[in-house]
Formats: sequence, C-alpha cells, structure tokens
Amino acid sequence: MTTAASTSIPGAPGVNPSADAIISIRNLRKWYQVGGGFMGFGDKIYLKAVDDVSFDIERNKTFGLVGESGCGKTTTLKLLLGLETPTSGHIYYEGEDVTTMSKAGRTEFRRSVQAVFQDPWSSLNPRMRVRSIVGEPLEIATTMTKGQIATRVGDLLSETGLNPYQANLYPHEFSGGQRQRIGIARALALNPKVIALDEPVSALDVSIRAQIMNLLVDLQEEHGLAYLLVAHNLATVRYMCHDMAVMYLGVVQESGETEAIFNNPMHIYTNALVSAALPSHPDIHREEFLLPGEVVSPINPPPGDVFMTRTPMEVDPNHKWANERPPLVEKEPGHWVVETPWSMAADAGLKVTLTGHKGV
Amino acid sequence: MAESTDSAVEEKELISSATASVDTDGFGTSAVSEEVVLDVKNLQTHFTTRWGTVKAVDGVTYHVKRGETLGIVGESGSGKSVTALSLMRLVPSPPGKIVGGEVVLGGRNLLDLSEHDMTSVRGGEISIILQDPMQALNPVFSIENQVGEAIKIHQGLKGEALWDKIVDSLRKVRIPAPESRAKDYPHQLSGGMRQRVVGAIGISSAPVVIIADEPTTSLDVTIQAAYLRLLRQIQQEEGVGIIFITHDFGIVAKMCDRVAVMYAGRIVEEADVRTIFNEPLHEYTKALISSVPKLEEKTGRLPQIEGQPPLLYNLPPGDAFAPRSTLTFTAEDAARRPPLLEVKPNHWVQLSKSSVADYDKYAHMMPAEDED
Repeated sequence: MTTAASTSIPGAPGVNPSADAIISIRNLRKWYQVGGGFMGFGDKIYLKAVDDVSFDIERNKTFGLVGESGCGKTTTLKLLLGLETPTSGHIYYEGEDVTTMSKAGRTEFRRSVQAVFQDPWSSLNPRMRVRSIVGEPLEIATTMTKGQIATRVGDLLSETGLNPYQANLYPHEFSGGQRQRIGIARALALNPKVIALDEPVSALDVSIRAQIMNLLVDLQEEHGLAYLLVAHNLATVRYMCHDMAVMYLGVVQESGETEAIFNNPMHIYTNALVSAALPSHPDIHREEFLLPGEVVSPINPPPGDVFMTRTPMEVDPNHKWANERPPLVEKEPGHWVVETPWSMAADAGLKVTLTGHKGV
Repeated sequence: MAESTDSAVEEKELISSATASVDTDGFGTSAVSEEVVLDVKNLQTHFTTRWGTVKAVDGVTYHVKRGETLGIVGESGSGKSVTALSLMRLVPSPPGKIVGGEVVLGGRNLLDLSEHDMTSVRGGEISIILQDPMQALNPVFSIENQVGEAIKIHQGLKGEALWDKIVDSLRKVRIPAPESRAKDYPHQLSGGMRQRVVGAIGISSAPVVIIADEPTTSLDVTIQAAYLRLLRQIQQEEGVGIIFITHDFGIVAKMCDRVAVMYAGRIVEEADVRTIFNEPLHEYTKALISSVPKLEEKTGRLPQIEGQPPLLYNLPPGDAFAPRSTLTFTAEDAARRPPLLEVKPNHWVQLSKSSVADYDKYAHMMPAEDED
C-alpha cells in the first residue's frame, strides 16, 4: 500500500495518471458562473464548487471523500459520472482521458462507472416494477434477449440479498434497506468496474446500515470493484475506505491512506472534523475545538489558501500562500496535506486524540 | 398483559428517586437532580389504519428528572417520535388516539386537561425542538415575530419587556448580535443559526421539559457539535429536563444520562448510559451498539442485524424482536409478551428467552404465567 502510494500521487497537480489507478482525477475544476460579465464586460463572478482536485481511485479499493455540505464532494462525484461537465481538468479511466475519448470508448466508460444514490425513496421510479428498474440498463446497453434479461435480473436480486420472485413488485412494496439493495442490483447490472456511492447508508435505519455496508464490501471482493464513497460520517469512511480526501470549499486539504490520516490527522480542518465527530462510548471525551466563523461562501473564495478565513492562527496577508493556492505536500509516505503557516494542527498546538481521555 | 406492565410501573416508581447522577459529557458536570419533573406511565397511542390498528406506542413508562437527559433510541417505526408527540397531545386525531396511560407534569395528568389548558402547557412547561429548522420556522415572519409569539402567549409580555425577553432568548442560544438578528428573516440565517432560533423559541418560556426530536440530523458535524454543546450548557443553566429522541448512539454517548431503547412501540431496555454501553442485556440493544462503525479504531467486519424492522400493523403476538433474534428458543418462548422488569437496580429489560441471552439468570423474576 505504501509502495503504491509513492507511485500514485493523490494531490500533485499535473502528474500523469498512475498505473495502479482505475480512475485518476487531475486538476479537476467545476466553476459555475453566478453573475457579472454582462455581454462580455465586467468581472465574472464564479462559484468554485470544485477547484483543482486531484486523486486516484485504485483497483479493488474504496476512495472516500469527506467534508461538510458545500465542500464540493458531491459535485466531484457528479463530474466522475458525467452528470456535470468539468470547467477544466482531466478524468482518466484505465489511463485514458475520458474527455478526449472516442465515442466507443466513452460508451465503455459509462457502462463501467455506475452509481448508487443516497435516498432510496426518491432514486427509484415508483411506476416501474423492480424487473424493469434493474433490467433497464441491460435493455439499453446490451443485446440480451428478454429471457436472458429476466434470468440476469433474478441473479442480481439474489446476489444483493433479495428474492428473485420480488422482481414483479413495485418500489413502494419494499423497506428502505431493500430499496437500497434494488439500487445496488441496478448498479451491478452491466458488470461495472467502478461504483460511485453517494451517502449510500445515511438515509437508512441504524440496524440496516451494517447490512448494506457489509453487502458493498462483499460485492467489492467478489467483483473486484473500485468505489468512490462520498460521506459525511467519518466512522463510515474509516470502516469502508482504503484511501480518502478531506475537502473544504472545493479544495482537497488532506489526502492519503485512511489509516494514516486517522492515526495522525495533520490539517487543522481534519482535526476539527474528527474532534466534532460523535464518540462511540460515553467514556470517550474528545476535546472539541470549534473553528472560528462559519463555512464561507464558495462564491469568489480567497485567491490563496481557502482555509485562511477559518484558521484559529494569525494569517500574514502578504504571505505567498495568502495570495496563491498552496499545493498538497507529502508529509509522510502516502499522506498529503496543504501546508501553510496557519494550516497545520501541530503548529497551532492542536492535536485530537481519537480515543480522548477515558473515565469521568 | 395489563397486570405485568402495571406491576412494573409500581416497582419503577419506588426506584425512580434513587439513581445516581452521572457526568456524560466532556464539558462540565451533569445537572441531574433527584426531582422527577415528568412521569409517563403506561402510555398507549394507537392509530386506526385500513390495515388494522397500529399500536405505535404500546404501554411505555418512563420519567425525566430535573436537569437530566433521557435518550429515547429506536429505528423509524419504533414509536419514539409518537411517544414525544403524545406528551404534547399533538398526535393527529383521527387516525391517532391516546388510548391509555398517564403523563404527569407538575402534579397534573396532561391527558385529562382541556384543550385550552393544554395550549398553555405546550411551548410553556413542555417545548419541542423539531428536526428540520427550515420547516419549524415560518419564512414570512421575522425572527423577532416568531420568538416573540411564544413569549406573548405564555408570559403576556408587551412592548419593551417583550423585546428585551426576545433579545435575551437569542443571547441564551449564543446568537451573535441578537438585536440585529431579531429583525432578520429565516432565509437570512445559516442552518446552524436557524436551529438556534428554534432552540430560542423552545427555551423562551423557561420550560421544565424540552423534547428534542433529532434536532441535529440536518446539520453538519461541526455545527452539530456546537449545537449539542449549547443544549448541554442551557440545561446546566436552566436545570431543564431533556428528552432526546434519536437513532444515533453517538449522540446518546455524548448527551444522555439515561437511555430507553424502543422497539415496535415498547421499551425493550432502559438503564443509565454506561450500563447500556457496557452491559446491555437485550439482544437488540447489543446488536444496535455493535453494528455501528467506530471512529476510534479500524474495526473488522461489522456484526449486522438480519431482517427488517417489523410492520406495526402486523406484529408477532409475543416478543416482537424474536424473528430477528439469533438466540435459540422455542415458539412458546417467543409467543408470550415479555414483561419489562428491573433485573438489576435501575436496569430494566424486556425479559424473554427469545431476546435475552442471560435469561436463565433472571428467570426467577418472571411473573407467573396466569394472564394473557
């Protein structure tokens, strides 16, 4: 894993896609113009939802994106799925740039990258029977006969823990957990290599979450799938992900191997997130520290380090990184962080110990 | 059924004044006192649906002490929210109806009050903080207007005094620049600030009990942490009892002094928060706690609870959890409705062979099988 990390460079801009990665995202940007620039005059105002994001999703591994609402993690997922067009940057699939791919290549890419969405109540068409929902991708993208499709749908349903005879039912006849299984069966229909998971368990009941997470882990092993997991729950990310990135205001602040980050969170923002996460036992008291201010608007963010308005430390307005975007720096093998004089937890004297102090 | 629950109620009353106060948070000591401010006995709320009668709350008994936080934990459909709405008598009727039980607050049974008297209790002695601050606030009225409404109704203040009280309430929930914020409309505030306004309305009339119905599920983690800390501070300052309704054991671990776990409309286990985490007895409690991934360490494969939460209009006659239990038991063991018994001091569990692994240890406590 450590050796792999030295060849795959999660945050370094401009570096070619690595051989271990099935998906390499390089310098990806999504800016929405929200005002200004009337008829070519005036300064344009942009909402920078995703700004220069780079990371690799390795084969058979899970990559987690965490951050608070508005940090750009869902936009990144949509860019991967082709639901949004990037303003600039590249998405490499198996080393090939998706943006310049041939039509046939693009079709192959679309089949290989599927999605499971957060809310199983609104992501399934209530007027379609389960067999049509799960079979639809097969009808569109393959030359399978009706009989073959029916057999395949039955197989997919049993693989995801449902009964093949439930294929004739409608979504409303299922519980939340079962609906999420239908969504997963549909995502698996075309034998994808990558599945983008957008908060796949947060809308489910607690007793069902473990079922779905374990199902996803099992399917990953059986089919050699790679996942991109977008989540706000850090415990879910630690359980599911091999590698991860912490985003703030459209920019990756810290990335690398999940265990490296949890064992030694370096960025102040990562420490703040960890300290605010809920404990798993009443005897765990983590010292909380709250960042000053609230999440600022991604419309015209600071030209330099986007985190500088939230740091508890002094910011020198003339410093290079107050005026220019700082890069991710590899502080230890496989562990990258945006390093500025005001972004490092160690410099601020902050250090969250995950287990906190035990006892009363 | 009725007899076993009633005896449980009596036993519980005797014991309710002896719980030790426990510090459950990292920011100050707990403010729990021995005075019981809210006592709910054998509450039953049923809904009439076309599939049959749904016993959403089926004989639930608990109490809240001054300065204490009671967590009511359960999945959707466990009856945890209906329990809270029943206290406020806010269950829509029809189809819902409170068919039995008592809710004693300040020496009165709230279920006997007239609708007029109940109006002064709601938002006065008991207030509720709802899940979604955007739905709880009216977008066309200013913050001043909405915080002031509750104060006008319950305290009859006007003019200068009303304004002072509004600003004071906003200051209590740590809203910066409360004088200018009061003039704002909900859309001008962030999600965290809106939830604080809802909190300000909740505490403005110095309630005895606050019901917090998953107030932080729509908030981001750092804003959630700040809000939970705020609730805890207000509790210490005002000595208010909080009923925290949640499905998240992380919130329970952080906020609650005592926990009641609900399943299919009944409490299956109740104890102080450390007992629930360290020595849970009911299989459902054990499974719920162990099936949550931990932030503190990389865990191996999560144990999972098989099956789905039951449909309330089609409950098994005896132990509702039996179909999902992994214990070995006979059909007769599962067919009897398990009584809620105090198996250890202040530790209540719905005792049955089908959901308690240590059943044999406590079997002598089972009431004789002469009813049903």
